[in-house]
Amino acid sequence: MDRRDFIKTTGGLILTVGSGTYAFRILSATGVSVSDTDNPLIGKKWGMVIDLTKCRPDCTDCLTACRTENNVSFHGDKRWDNHWIRKVKIEGEVGHTKVEKMVPLLCNHCDNPPCAQVCPVKATYKRDDGIVIVDHHRCIGCRYCMIACPYNARQFNFKNDEDWPNEERPKRSHGVAEACNLCAHRLDVGQMPACVEACQKCGANAILVGDLNDPVSEINRITSTLSVKRIREDLGTEPKVYYLGL
Amino acid sequence: MKINIGNNKTAVFVAIPILIILILILYGVISNVVAIGSEPPQVLLERPDSKYDKCVRDTEYMRFHHWELLREIRENVVRYGKRGEEDINKCKECHTSRVNFCDQCHNAVSMSPDCFGCHNYP
Amino acid sequence: MDLKFDSIEGDSTQYRLMMITFASFAIAGFIATWYVIEHGLWVTGMNNRVPWGLQIVMAVYYIGLSAGSLVISGLYGVFGKLEYKPFARIAVYLATLFLIAGLLSILTDQGRIDRVFVEPFVYFNLQSMFSINPILYIGHILICLLYLWALFYERKKLTSVVATLAFGWAFCVHTGTGAIFGFGARVLYESPLLPASFVAAAMASGTALMILMIVGLFRITKRRLDDELIIWLGRFLAICLLVVVYFMFVENAYRAYVVELRDAAMYYLFGGLHSLFFWVGLIVIGCFIPIFLLFYRKTGKTVRGIVIASALVVFGVLCERYVIVLPGLTHPPELFPGMEITESVLQEGIASYSLSFLEILQALGVFGVIGFLFGWGLKYLKLLPTEARILKHYETTEITSKEK
Ligand code: SF4
Repeated sequence: MDRRDFIKTTGGLILTVGSGTYAFRILSATGVSVSDTDNPLIGKKWGMVIDLTKCRPDCTDCLTACRTENNVSFHGDKRWDNHWIRKVKIEGEVGHTKVEKMVPLLCNHCDNPPCAQVCPVKATYKRDDGIVIVDHHRCIGCRYCMIACPYNARQFNFKNDEDWPNEERPKRSHGVAEACNLCAHRLDVGQMPACVEACQKCGANAILVGDLNDPVSEINRITSTLSVKRIREDLGTEPKVYYLGL
Repeated sequence: MKINIGNNKTAVFVAIPILIILILILYGVISNVVAIGSEPPQVLLERPDSKYDKCVRDTEYMRFHHWELLREIRENVVRYGKRGEEDINKCKECHTSRVNFCDQCHNAVSMSPDCFGCHNYP
Repeated sequence: MDLKFDSIEGDSTQYRLMMITFASFAIAGFIATWYVIEHGLWVTGMNNRVPWGLQIVMAVYYIGLSAGSLVISGLYGVFGKLEYKPFARIAVYLATLFLIAGLLSILTDQGRIDRVFVEPFVYFNLQSMFSINPILYIGHILICLLYLWALFYERKKLTSVVATLAFGWAFCVHTGTGAIFGFGARVLYESPLLPASFVAAAMASGTALMILMIVGLFRITKRRLDDELIIWLGRFLAICLLVVVYFMFVENAYRAYVVELRDAAMYYLFGGLHSLFFWVGLIVIGCFIPIFLLFYRKTGKTVRGIVIASALVVFGVLCERYVIVLPGLTHPPELFPGMEITESVLQEGIASYSLSFLEILQALGVFGVIGFLFGWGLKYLKLLPTEARILKHYETTEITSKEK
């Protein structure tokens, strides 16, 4: 065997071994799939109504509740803090009167989520009950979803936060994107999201989460009888967070 | 056939990257062989009096395939919202300390899964 | 004519110095990337409102250069221009390297680099531009390698087939890369013209860079290079530049004309530092001066004029990439039309982005890696021809008949 042949053979060998290992990793990474009958999520469609007439402008209970429930990272710097739900003050003129409102903003759990459309690994996806959620085990941190979301609802874990207020729930490592998940872990076991509970506890009772597919649910009554608004309905993303009095 | 690809230094061009890769692969193989050859550490059952009388799978399966089970549970929970009987949190009931349960073997085979950066296991 | 290819000796002090510089760049970039992986991406200049930064700009830029280089090699491979055969090998080699650089830039930018090699291929999402593009990129690299092989072994038929394929594929790659931005939801990204203008700018920058490379290499290694070859390339560059200007004009005119986009257009054109990049970097330095140099008879017909113009274009297109990526991010999405957000815990309104030292190091690192590979290729592969000259008519017929 001369030198060329040697190089050829070793190269081939290494290629085979390398691609074999790689193929193994790829093949063994495929996930489970669940049939429709087995799937507890099918048939539901979670939505949220926020009543701005009841929401108190200076109350931040839902924000704190969310942060502690989900271990959302906070560093005290606007550039890298994450906020699954945040309150913004909007000002403007309607007619000739000046209006000023505090609006809680969160992921709208769009029915046509652009963030899920662009995710290259399907880490962001719409669950069968309409919740848009991030699989942090799969996220590669490309941040394309943050660019695609027209609501600025997504944040990225730029930095690890050492605090761990709720040890039952996971944190996120740095390098993955995240957004509100409507406390899917609580909805799955029949509890209401943390922000809803906090809102009830402080007495304002301004947030309501319910099943939009259920014809007799409270949320369906409100969205069909009262004048509700969603943010930027013209974009066609079909948000599922409704605002009363926006 | 006359080859017009390079001069006699071409061999160096091809051989050096190949050598580097080869060394890396060899390192992996050898360290694994060494790890497999040694005696596996024993997983301690720290609280045999807890409310479960046996593990979710038999020992042999858990030793070699627990990550498959974990992945299955993970997919079920994250993707399909099935928070059922088999739950990672329930491992804690019997195996109370992570050092004796997870880390021991992972250290022995020099694996470092990054579960515990985000999930809490006491 | 007997065209011979050869490698360079590579034992001069300059060559060694160059290689050492590239290697140290690469090592610096590697360390910077390591640091970023360890500490999280906040050490770069990016933040929650501006999640893409310099690395994406560079990736887009490199991918553009790659296509442009392929065009030059296509002059021989596709259109059969025999005078340009001497440049074919080096052009394809550069195209491969630039694409690798683009991929490296994207790679070093990810939050979880450990997952990049597995997850995107397992959980392929057909709807995502980010999923489609890696396939295009990898295909591009493979095609380039095949092309290179065909050129090295002088396979005439294979060369023309692969060259045509590579040509078409490069267009797809560029359209795909442009679509990452063009199909996005940001006001300043959303534009069906973006992929097209992307291809134009890519051709311009690639041609310019090839001119610089060819002239530089041939002059340094003291090989014969006929001016006519470069002058023809200069004319090609001028036309590409005109197309770039045309697309720029249409895009911005549209934005300034449509009422709801006018605010965004004003921000883009006169709203901060990026406007400076746009007007001075892209329009004046990158387009107008080079176009003038190339069309003015005294400079357009000399190699020196063309080389200066090319250098300006290479810089200008870098600015173009910057103003594609960043203003679209710093410009805020409009959540409440007619209202203004005055208070928030997050950055609302126009966000700030500043380059960080680490990002620059990362970018330099990628540059170092391909520079090093380029130098290595020059030494160990027969990339450079012994001479490049205009062919006499009888020579062309002779070669064509010999090939048959
Ligand atoms: S609001 Fe943004 S993050 Fe939430 S589903 Fe819609 S696009 Fe995705």
